[in-house]
Amino acid sequence: MTHTLHRSGSYESLTNDYVIFAIAAQTVNAKGIAPQFKAFADIVLKYNPVNFGDMKTGNVYGVGIDDIKAGYKDNSIVHAVFNDQETLTKALQEVKDAHLDLSIVLSGIVEHSHQCCSKTDITPHTVEHSLGIHGRLDYLPDERVLEISTMCGHGMVAFSLIEDFAEKVAKGRLTPEKAGEKLAKQCHCGVFNTKRAEKLIADIAEGLKKS
Amino acid sequence: MYIDQEKCIQCEACIPYCPMRAIAYNKDKDAVEIDFEECVECGVCKYADVCPADALTQQEMEYPRILRSQFSNPLVSHPGTGVPGRGTEEMKTNEVTGRFKRGMVGVAVEMGRPGTGTRLFDVEKVAMALAKEGVHFEPHNPVTQLMEDVNTGKMKNEVLNEKTLSAIVEFDIPQSKLAEVFYSLKKVIPEIDTVFSLDLACRLNEDGSNPVVKIAEEAGFKVSVNGKMNVGLGRPLAKEA
Repeated sequence: MTHTLHRSGSYESLTNDYVIFAIAAQTVNAKGIAPQFKAFADIVLKYNPVNFGDMKTGNVYGVGIDDIKAGYKDNSIVHAVFNDQETLTKALQEVKDAHLDLSIVLSGIVEHSHQCCSKTDITPHTVEHSLGIHGRLDYLPDERVLEISTMCGHGMVAFSLIEDFAEKVAKGRLTPEKAGEKLAKQCHCGVFNTKRAEKLIADIAEGLKKS
Repeated sequence: MYIDQEKCIQCEACIPYCPMRAIAYNKDKDAVEIDFEECVECGVCKYADVCPADALTQQEMEYPRILRSQFSNPLVSHPGTGVPGRGTEEMKTNEVTGRFKRGMVGVAVEMGRPGTGTRLFDVEKVAMALAKEGVHFEPHNPVTQLMEDVNTGKMKNEVLNEKTLSAIVEFDIPQSKLAEVFYSLKKVIPEIDTVFSLDLACRLNEDGSNPVVKIAEEAGFKVSVNGKMNVGLGRPLAKEA
């Protein structure tokens, strides 16, 4: 149902991880709306998101910003990721003032999204909650690997890739920053938070060094 | 996907990229291979662009194999939805489409997520268990479109053994029936050989409170602190019932 809903992690870890995205209803208002995605992108990019992408083309770490800007479609879904609530709120205010007609969705700690809406005088419409993971939980990796992987809801960031990069970081063959960027490249939509991943992978690597 | 053995230099760079751990060195054949049965055709290995010999090769796919790609590669718009990704617009455009009205709740069982993958026969088990509760499967959802009978949740036989990175059973239900749906879902969990992530979407009350969180908690489901919020800026607005 969703690609940003099931980000795993503690309240503290999720406090630094917010996604805002724009989408059009294909059966109602999508026809000819592509220029509004450009307007949305121009606004959120002013606030220097840690990641940015369009589901129809890719993300800044993969295809690059120029290809994304050249490729907005009526069925685009354009995302930006921020590390703090204050910046998210400023971006939301400007998006609201631009009257784009696009549906705008915030993904993150729900209490914080309510606060962003309150500060921008927005009445939220619909909310979706994650009710967790069920079934063969024995198939899941270490919780920190899961926190990184679930930042790409489509599952493009393999558990094994995170484990591989953590080992390389522990051996000094890769920096946490570079690891975060390389992992982000895998997540087409651009909803992967590189900075959060960087911290988590450094933490896993530290553990590997001690073991 | 397969590895062209004429090109492969056995550097093994592609191995960790596979979300299904389906790429491995085969000692008997002295070759790096993709397990064709486990491959979900997500394209992640090729998209990563880590093969120095360009040995990762996408074969032509026919039905039902092509379902793997349609359900696993988010850059492929599903032919039945027009939307990239595995789901639908669901609550993301709710202020415009009016899909979830007050008194109704949207539920999604995201089979194979996170990162585990699912056979469609496991998806069918969940769908059939939920169908007994009279749920209304979302007609635009790709899983619903593979059902032989939406009243029973029975899926087409030829698709059942296909494996995908994820597949989402998506439906609407009156809030008054939600507790029974949760009960049926819990009962089917021991029968499936994968994981699923569970979603719950609804319109907020006029005072901003959430009408269904308590039902989920009473059914024994922990409601995560994070979630998705449609802030209602899309236009034109759907007419209220």
